[in-house]
Formats: sequence, C-alpha cells, structure tokens
Amino acid sequence: MKKAITAIIAVAIIALMALGYADAAAHRAHSGGGETEVDPQEIIFEHLGDAYGWEVPFNHSQRIPLPVIVRAQDGSWHAFMSNRLEEGAQYDGFQIAKGGDYNNKVVQVLPDGSQYRPIDLSITKNVAGIFIAALLVLLMVFKVRNWYKKNGMKAPRRFTASLELVVDFVYTDTIRPIMGKEAPKYAPYLLTAFFFILTMNLLGLIVIFPGGANLTGNLAVTAVLALLTFLVTNLTGTKHYWKEIFWPEVPTALKLPVPLMQIIELFGIFTKPIALMIRLFANMMGGHMVVIVFMLLIFIFGSMFGTAIGGVMTPLSVALSLFMLLLDVLVSFIQAYVFTILSTMFISMAHVHEHAE
Amino acid sequence: MELFKPEFGLAFWMFIAFLCLFGILAKWAWPFIIKSMEERADLIDKGVAYAQEAKSHLDNAKAEADKLIAEAHDKQNEMLREAEKMRNQLIENARGEAAVEAKKVTDAAQVSLEQARKEAEKQLRTEVGDLALQIAEKVIRKNIANDDAQRALVDQYLSEVESKN
Repeated sequence: MKKAITAIIAVAIIALMALGYADAAAHRAHSGGGETEVDPQEIIFEHLGDAYGWEVPFNHSQRIPLPVIVRAQDGSWHAFMSNRLEEGAQYDGFQIAKGGDYNNKVVQVLPDGSQYRPIDLSITKNVAGIFIAALLVLLMVFKVRNWYKKNGMKAPRRFTASLELVVDFVYTDTIRPIMGKEAPKYAPYLLTAFFFILTMNLLGLIVIFPGGANLTGNLAVTAVLALLTFLVTNLTGTKHYWKEIFWPEVPTALKLPVPLMQIIELFGIFTKPIALMIRLFANMMGGHMVVIVFMLLIFIFGSMFGTAIGGVMTPLSVALSLFMLLLDVLVSFIQAYVFTILSTMFISMAHVHEHAE
Repeated sequence: MELFKPEFGLAFWMFIAFLCLFGILAKWAWPFIIKSMEERADLIDKGVAYAQEAKSHLDNAKAEADKLIAEAHDKQNEMLREAEKMRNQLIENARGEAAVEAKKVTDAAQVSLEQARKEAEKQLRTEVGDLALQIAEKVIRKNIANDDAQRALVDQYLSEVESKN
C-alpha cells in the first residue's frame, strides 16, 4: 500500500515536471519569441561566479542588495547598496560592466567614456556567503565548547554529539597520529580550516538564500586557504627542513655545479599549496557545474529536438542532478578532509628533525 | 574566463574572515574542546582499566579465598592428627604409669602377704606347740586310763583344733 502510494506520487511528480516544461515552452513560443535562446554558458558562469546581489528564489528581477565598496580612481572610497546598479544603472559614476574585460564587475566610467576597474572590496554574494559560513562555524564550535563548559565529562547528544564526532575524527584520528606531540599547537588552525571548508562546501549545495554561493569553487577562496597553509608550513619550518631544501642528502653531483635538487625542492614548496588550491577549487566547481549542466540538458535537448524531448528529459535530468548533489555532499566532506590531512602532512613534514631520518 | 581570475576583494574578505574565525576559535574554543575531549577519553580509559582491574581483583579474591579454605582444611587436619597423637601418647603414658603403680601395689601386697604368712606361720607354730603341749598334758593326765580312751581323746582334740581353724 505504502509502496503503491509512493509510486503514484513519483509518477505524478515526473508527469508534472514533463508537462510543466512542455507548457512553459508552448507559452514562450506563443508570446512571440521576444526572449533570447537559452545560453548554457552564460547560465553556468552566472551560477558559478560572484554577483553583487543575492538572488531570491522564484524571482528573477529582484535581488537581496549587498553593499558595494569601491575605491575610485581619484582615491576616494564609495559605498552604496548594489540595488542602485541593477539593470545596468549608473550610480556615482559606477556601473556593472557588461562584456569586455570586466564582465559583471563594477567599473568606474571615466569622463572620456573608458572603463576603470576600481579596487573592489564589495561585500559580494560570495563575501556574504563567507561571513555566513564563518558565523555558522563559530556557532557550531561554540556549541560543542559550551557543552563541555556546562556538562563537563558527560557525553553530548544529538547535534552536538555529531559535531564532536567530526572533531574527534579529524583531531584524534588524523591530526594527532600525524603530528604527534605537536598536534595541540597546530590543531586549532587545521580544525578551523576543516570546519570552514566543510561549511562552505555544504552551504554551496543549498540553492536558496543562506547558501547558493559557490564559495570553495572559487579560486580566490581556495587560494587564501592554500596561502595560509603555505605560510604556516614555511614560517614554522625547522632548520632541518630548510637544510633538506637547500642541501639535501643526495650525491654532491646533483647539487653542486648545477643546483638541480635545490630547484626541484624549491618548486616543491610552491607546488604543494598550489595543488591544495586547485584540488579544492576544481572538485567543488566541477560538482556544481555538472549539476547545472544536467539541469540545462532539458533546455539544450528541448531546443535541439523539440519540446517533447525536452519534456521527457526533465525527470531524467532532475534525477541525475539529485544524484550529483548527493555525491557532492560526500565530496564536500572528502575535500574538506583531504585539504586538512594534506595541510597536516605538509606542516608536519616541515617539522622534521635530524633524528627523524 | 572570469572563474579562473581570483578576485582581490573576495580574497581580502576571505583572509579577514578566516583570521577572525581562527583567532576566536583558537583562543576560546579549540584548546578547550581538545583538552576536554582528551580528558574524557582518559577518563573512559581509566574507567575501563579500573573495571578490568576490579574484575581481576575479584577473580583473584575468589582464588585467594579458595586457597585460604584449603589451607584451613590442611591446618584442621593437622590439628586433628596432632590431637590424635597427643591422645594416644596420653593414653600410653597413663597406661605405663598405671602399670608401674599396679606393679608397686602388687609388690607391696606380696611383701605384706609374705609377712602375714610368716607371722601366721610363727603364730601357727606357737599355737601348734601350745596345743601339742596341752594335748600332751591331757594325754599325760589321762595316761592312767586305757589306750583307746587316750586315742579318742587325741582325736577329739584334733578335731577341736581343726574346727577352730
């Protein structure tokens, strides 16, 4: 009985999805083709990229305004809400460029008509998303901490327990075995990085307001994270770590006339964080992209083979997108974990001592 | 490809946000959480170790009790054996002493018996002498009379003596 009801509901949803597309297509055709064709590339980059306002579900014209903070060419700072720039409007000499080098970015229109890209410290959608993620991490971690403050040695329950499980998994099973005695010193950085990345990853998968910003699928975000690991690794590196780089224990021929090993090792210093940056960025962006592409398949097929095929594609696309989203939940965790474990290893590798050979 | 051009503003705010988050958490949250978690892990480990120890103690206690009981049994048996031995010895001693005493008594009795016999012998001799003398006197007195009468008289006196004894 239960199964039958589930099946009926599923069939109804699939039918509605298929009919809905057909109806929308017919409606659009009827209203006179004033709209342009669906441009998949533009949609993909709009979803993956940053924006000055935050879109609202089911509303294509209005966005949640966010502050724009820019420094004009003459050195003065300007701050205003992003809704003043909507629909290509110009405010205070600034507007959002369409096309060109600064596509979708705020530019200053100079008196001679040329565009100047100001220093842009706007609270964009991604920046707001980062703040929200940071706030969430803060709340979650303090929830665990307050539990210990209040209840001491009692085991936590429910959400707090699941958070504690993750902390335990990252700290006790990953950081401590790798770093040993130094674990408590570097654990705050690694745990913060892990929870921040995990929260940003998961927030990116939620399509409506508090989420929806493609944070870790953005090179700037992952670059900062990788830079921090780079700084921690190299600023705390021991003498022996530097000796391994500039005078490694290899046959002298490999390092004296031509500093071959030194060049390789120096490259290694930079490739490690760059690999961290690219890995997280590519994984998260790829996941988002695949989900969007699966949804866009409906329209691509619709425009190529007609409305009927588009309608038939709908349930399949939704199913595939759903599958990819669920996979991305797993990837979110794995990538946060991979970033943390690799950072841990890089940092601990910079702490080699003579006897550790 | 704007996706591959890192935006300075975003990186700037990301840096600020991460540092703030890290500063707050590293100062007030993570060390405390890690410390508490480790303390609790230690507490649980200790609890388990304590329980195991308690269990082994309990097992030991049982073995010890069994050992004590066995020892007590042994001691009891030994004590019983000792007591038996002591009793036997006591009896033996008593028997020996009794034998000595008895011998003493019989010896004394024998001595007194010998004495009594000697005395009796002496007395008998004097009495027999006396009697013989009396008889002789009477025989002499009645000498005048016949022999038969004399023999009868002796018989009479002898039977008198015999009846007296």
